[in-house]
Parts: sequence; C-alpha cells; structure tokens
Amino acid sequence: MRWFETPNFDFVSKRKIAYVISGILLAISIGAIVTKGLQYGIDFKGGKEIVLKFESAVDVTEIRSSLTDPLGSTPEVKLFGSESEVLIRTDNTNTIEEIETVVRSTMSQLYPDNDAITEKTDSVGPRIAEDLKSGGLQAVIYSMIIIFVYILIRFRKWTFSAGAVAALFHDVIITLGAFTLLSDVVNFSLLIDQNIIAAFLTIVGYSLNDTVVVFDRIRENSIVHKGMEFIPMVNKSLNDTLSRTIITSVTTLFVVAVLFIFGGEVLKGFSFALLIGIVLGTYSSLFVASSLVVELDSKTNK
Amino acid sequence: MQGNGFKIGLIFAFLALTLWYLFPTLQYNLEQKQISELSPSDSAQYVDENREKLASIKERTLNLGLDLQGGMYVMLEVGTPQLILELAGENKDDALEQIVADARTTALANDSDFIDEMAAAFSTENEGARLSRYFRNDAAEITRRSSNDEIVTFLKAQRTEALDRAIEIIRTRVDRFGVTEPSIVKQGTDRIVVELPGVDDKERVRNLLKGTARLEFRLAANANDFSSFINQVYDYFDQKAAGDEGDSLDTIQPNALLEVLIPSQGSPYVLGYAEEQDTAEVNALLNDPEVDRMLPRNTTIMWSANTQPYTQGGAEVFSLYGVKTDIEMTGDVIEEASVQFDPATNVPEVSMTMNAEGARDWARITGANIGKPVAIVLDGFIYTYPNVISKISNGRSSITGVENVGEADDLVNILLSGALPAPLEIVEERTVGASLGQASIDASLNSVLIGLSIVAIFMIVYYRTGGAVADLALLLNIVFILGILAGFKATLTLPGMAGIVLTIGMAVDANVLIFDRIREEQRTGKTIKAAISAGYSNAMSAIFDANITTGFVALVLLSFGVGPIKGFAVTLLAGICCSLFSAIIITRVVVDYLTRAKSDAVNFG
Repeated sequence: MRWFETPNFDFVSKRKIAYVISGILLAISIGAIVTKGLQYGIDFKGGKEIVLKFESAVDVTEIRSSLTDPLGSTPEVKLFGSESEVLIRTDNTNTIEEIETVVRSTMSQLYPDNDAITEKTDSVGPRIAEDLKSGGLQAVIYSMIIIFVYILIRFRKWTFSAGAVAALFHDVIITLGAFTLLSDVVNFSLLIDQNIIAAFLTIVGYSLNDTVVVFDRIRENSIVHKGMEFIPMVNKSLNDTLSRTIITSVTTLFVVAVLFIFGGEVLKGFSFALLIGIVLGTYSSLFVASSLVVELDSKTNK
Repeated sequence: MQGNGFKIGLIFAFLALTLWYLFPTLQYNLEQKQISELSPSDSAQYVDENREKLASIKERTLNLGLDLQGGMYVMLEVGTPQLILELAGENKDDALEQIVADARTTALANDSDFIDEMAAAFSTENEGARLSRYFRNDAAEITRRSSNDEIVTFLKAQRTEALDRAIEIIRTRVDRFGVTEPSIVKQGTDRIVVELPGVDDKERVRNLLKGTARLEFRLAANANDFSSFINQVYDYFDQKAAGDEGDSLDTIQPNALLEVLIPSQGSPYVLGYAEEQDTAEVNALLNDPEVDRMLPRNTTIMWSANTQPYTQGGAEVFSLYGVKTDIEMTGDVIEEASVQFDPATNVPEVSMTMNAEGARDWARITGANIGKPVAIVLDGFIYTYPNVISKISNGRSSITGVENVGEADDLVNILLSGALPAPLEIVEERTVGASLGQASIDASLNSVLIGLSIVAIFMIVYYRTGGAVADLALLLNIVFILGILAGFKATLTLPGMAGIVLTIGMAVDANVLIFDRIREEQRTGKTIKAAISAGYSNAMSAIFDANITTGFVALVLLSFGVGPIKGFAVTLLAGICCSLFSAIIITRVVVDYLTRAKSDAVNFG
C-alpha cells in the first residue's frame, strides 16, 4: 500500500490560506484564554480533590447541591470514568481530613443505601501550587530555548529556529485555547495540571520531530539540488517527506486515541491534549513552520 | 554486511541483560499468582516459610508508582516562623511576633524566602537596629554585635539543621510504623517528601508525621490564685452581659461564657468543661486582653486531650485546666516507653521510664507537690493530670487517656523517635486507593496491548515484510524499556505507562523514515540491496535530529517534573534510546539477513 507516493502539492503558495486558518484559531484561542482565563487544576491553583466510588450510580447535581452548605461554597462535581464514581473539587481551606469527613458524612445521608469508598484524595497548598506552576512554566520556556539553540546549531540558520519555535507556540497556544473553551463542555476534566504540562511538552517534542524531518530534507536538497530556488526546494522537501509525515501521524494518532478511549479517567485530559496536539503538530509542520522560514528568508534576503 | 556479527552480539547481550533485570518481576508475579491460588491457611504458611526469598525477589522487581499500586504521598514543610520564635526564646516580644506574622504573608505572596523577608521587614521597621537583639547565641558566636547578614546566615543554617533532624526523626518513625519501601527525601530548603506505598490509614500517617512530640511535665497552677481567677473570669463575663448601665432589665444578655463552658464545682484547678463543638467558641471568648490581664503570673490554661463524661453517662466534655507556664521537665529525659494495659480496666496507656537525671528531677518534683496535681502535656494538650500521692523515685510515669492501642503504639513510636525541632505542616498530600491503582494498571495495560496491535497490523499492511520486521523491533523495544526501568531502579507510573503507549506510536517513526526512504531510492532505479543500503544511511540524519530534540524535551521534563511526571520523562527517554537502537540496529540486521540469500525476500510494500 502506498499513500502520497510522488505527491506534488504546492504547500508554500497556499501559505496565505494557512495563515488565515491559523490566525483565526490563534485569535479564538487567545481570546478565550484572555476572557475566561486558563482553567487551572489544583496542582497550579491549590485546593482539594476527593474521588469517591459508590456502589451504584449517583447524581452529580444532587451531590453538588448537597455539599454546597457543608463546604461553604459550591464544589465542582464531575463523574470520574463511570456513573458511580465522582470527583469532588473544593477550595475550602480546611484540612483534607476534615473535608473528607464532611463529604463522606453528607454522602451517607444523601445515599444511605449506597456506600462509597475514597479512591483518591489530593490536597495542594497555595505555596506548592505556586511552585508547581512556576516549575511548569520554566519547563516550557527552557525546552523552547534549548530547541531554538539546537536547531540553530544543527541548521545554522536562525530562520529555521524561529520557524520551528513559532510553530511550537502555535500548537501549544491553540491546544491551550481548546482546553479553555472546552473545559465546561466535555464530561471529563480539562483543567491544566502537571500531567497537561507533560502532554504539552510531548506535543512540542512531537511537532518538532515532524518539523525537523522536513528541515533536514531541505538541508539535504539544498546540497543535492544546488541551483534550485528556495521556495520550490521547500516545496519539494515537504512533498518528499509527506508520506512519512502522514504515516507517523496516523500511527501516533492510533495509539493516542487508544489511550484516550481505554487509558482510564486519570489520563483523559492528558491524551486529549495529545490528540489535539498531534493533529496541530502535523498541520503546523506542513503549513506553518516551513512557510515561516520562507517568509523570514525572503524578508532578510531583500 | 560485515560487522553484523557484532551487531547481533550486541542485540543478544542487550536482550539477555534486559531479561535478567525483568526476571524477578516475572518471578514475583508468578509467586503471587501461586499464593492466591492456595487456601488462606496454606498461603499464610507458604508466605511465612518463604518470607526471605519473597522479600529478596520483591526488592528486585520493577517499582510501581503510588498512582499504580496505591499509597500516600505527603509533602511536609518545616514551620520556619515557629522555629524562629523558638530560637528567639525569652528575647521574643510582640514586635518580633508581628514581624514574623507579616513576613509569613509577604513570603507567601512573593514566593520568596521567609527568613529574607523577615530580615527585610525588621530593617524597614527598625532602621539601623540589629536582629541580634533577638538571636544572641554564644555557641554559634552570634553576639550583640553580629550583623543582620550574619544572623540571616545563622537562621538559615538553623533551618537546614532542623530540616535534617526532622528527616531523621520522620525516617525513624516511618520505619517503626512498618511500611515497605518508604521513600523520604528532602526538597528545597524547608520541605520533606514522604512516599508510603500501600498505606491507606491516612489519619494515623498524618498524626505520625506531624506530631512534634513535645512532651512536658508541668505543675498545676497555684490553687488560691487560680480559684480567684476563675471567679473573676465568670464575673467579667457577667458584667459584659449586663452591658452598659441603664439598660433595662429585660435586655440583659445571658453570660456568653456560661453558654459554652460549664463551671467546675469546687476544683481550684479547672476553669470549666466544654463539649467538643463548643471548645472553639470558648477559646475565642477567652482570647481577650482583659482575661489575659486577670490571669495570675506564671499561669497558662490548657485543654485536656481527651474527653470524659461530665456526669455519669452524661455528655462527653473536655476540661480546661490551669497549669504553670514554667516547664519542669521535657521529653528529653524519656529513655524508654511502651504500651501497657491498666490491670483494672484493660485500657491501654503509655508507660515511660526516665533516665537517671530525669528520675532525680521527677522525684524532687513529685516529692515537693504531694497532694497536688501535675500535668503531663503532649503537643499542647494535657493527657494526664494526676494527683501526686507520694514521691516517685523510680523515674516512672505514664500517659493515660489514649483512645486505643493504635494511638498508644504511635505515641510510643513518636516519643522514642525524639521530638521534632519545629512543627511540620502538611502542604501537599495525595492518596490513591489500591482499587484505583489496579484500575489504572488494567486500563494502561489494555491501552498498550490494543495500541500495539493496531500499529502492528497497520505496519504490516502498509510496509509488508518491512512492516513485520518493524513490528518485531517494536516488541523488543517495549521489553527493553521495561528492562531499562527495572535495571535503573526507576519507577513505573501511570504517565510512564502513557509514555510507553506513546513510544509505540513514535518508535515506528524511525522505521517509517527508513522504509519511505528505501521506497524512494527504489524509484530512482536502484536494486533492492542498494536501495536498502542507501535508505538506511540517508534516513539517519533525520532520525538523529528528530530523536535528539525529543530527547531534550524529555530531559527538561525530567529536571522540572515531580513524581509521576518524572516517570513519564524516564520512559520517554528510555523509549527514545530503545527505538533508535531497534530501528538502526535490529531492523537492519534482520533485513540484511533476509536479503542475504534472495534479494527480493524483503518487500517494502
């Protein structure tokens, strides 16, 4: 079986269309992030989470309203994987043991015949949350810097570095936007926590992987086809590597989709980020990174 | 084709090493399975007979993270503000307490160091003054003339010392508690991370970790002074209730204190009794400068640690005792402690034996206070308030009023491990139940199997023989990753499992790069052998670059991430190394072998 055996798409001349699409996606994402704010999980905001597993199905709305009074504020209550498991998140400042006691006694009044066990508790203090947040931010920034420098050393052109890093920002910002917009829509947790930072960095690594393979081909073609103009050469390189780009995306999407469907509730947000990120990463390697290099190249060569 | 002998040797050496590291894990699982098939009594006997063998296998198995096997993760922070006030000792005043409280808030807001903030706050408040007025310490050569910078260095050193001692003490306590494979590590300047696999008694662990175990022996307050204080306090609240003169009689408020505190009938040492839900209100009412003023010199009021019925079968109440502020003796003198049972009631209590010096002091104290109560205070609560009947000269005493044997055991443990130099606060706590851990293992194993099958089938359909070779490499890849994790004693976490699943998708990338390149070379008219050779060598630079960059990202994650995320970074790194190895060496050897006799034996679709 062969896909895209000898493709001859004119990626570079279509870049204006890609700019419009990316521009719109970026505008929506940034708009959502600015107006709604990033939706942090307790890792980055501090707070307490309890996951209870009941013997049979429960009602999230009922639980939420029954806990509002005892906890002093409306907690966030979501199903956790099945109809009988719930995640309760609160910003109540009592200790986790007090909160667990309150939650469990309220639940045994609400569902006297439906016993629950505590599957998971998480309690993150405000200072730790601050530390974890700055740690996550540093991780993202440092990886961007390292990537910029590495590509600069390997390809000896700052335009390549800039194109690659811009494409990475593009991917991460749009994924963040999707998280912000969808956090209230989907029935699993899309809050930004440590796992999501790991997912973002994986997206960064993945998207970069695609981009670097294309860059590598541009470098090779510029040696093999010395007389060729830059734009046709970028196009040729994108086409040369297209089959590989698509196949790798497909296999990776397969496993990430498997992880999303079968990987359990804890990994839902993580694998969702990867799903979006891999599609974006493939798109940005084909339409954004190289196009930006062309753009920057023509500007600096004038 | 030369050099393949070396490559094959390398593959088998690596495989053998991997299996060597994975063998104990396999063995342990088989043992567990065997044990679970036996009847309960047989299995108990089997475990008993093979205890050492099982433990030695267990030690070499692949470690599972807390998120997979269940357990408790606790981050503790040394209470630096309390430590500072403690160090100031008798020199501390209201001004210092205010500065400490302010610095605590600013340090939290700015995410900065508390000690630096405190020094800064002190300097702004008292220009030109020296912190040495609070922290003179002859042993550390801190004199009145020491500069503020020297003091800051001294305080930071004290904090480090307190942290190190706290870690030692926590380690002793955890060891005595009997958790298998606990992990206790220092983090930063003032934090300790404790990981306890398989533990689910959260309440006990919290008390065990946080208890400062400050044991004090104090004398009861002076009976005359304290009973007049009791009268004054109730009178004061009577007057407060009566309000301003001129109020009409029917607007008189009830005595607020009497609402929550039941006066004792006749005991000159007890201010009153309160039910649990009222104690906070009592504290709030008594936290009044007027009450403070009435309090006799060298006297403090303290709650009892446990309740007793107010009347026969009546409500359970806590008692509010008057004791001396001066501490006669501390827990340092305790040499031995054990759980004993009261012969009459069979209630557990903690019996303590003091060292010679302690015994001498205890004899003096009890001898001088016959007929009066003494208080045994632990972490600010009075456990025992016995009347001294006779002089105790054998250095024995006991803590009664503990709730159950578990609490008594933990108290003994805490007493023997020593007192923490400063209170510890739990700033982060995560627990995962064993059932959720098992569910996570199942879900991620399923994902690995399903993901692997889909990718394997796709590769065969798309690349034919080449795909089959890549699949073989992929399988070996997963075995290698697990072997590396076991060999380096890394921990497999849930995100780590996700990393393995992700590696499956990305590991084939190197082969995809090579196979696509081979197809390309074939299109230029090369023979299959020439195409294979050119394909491998031309794809190398792209494979190298792509994996290096992902490797950098994994390294960054490794240095910034904590716990489970570190596990993800480790598997990602191991995955990158293994997929490079399998794509460049394993598939090459197999492809070369297959094309040796008949060049068209390999088909890249």
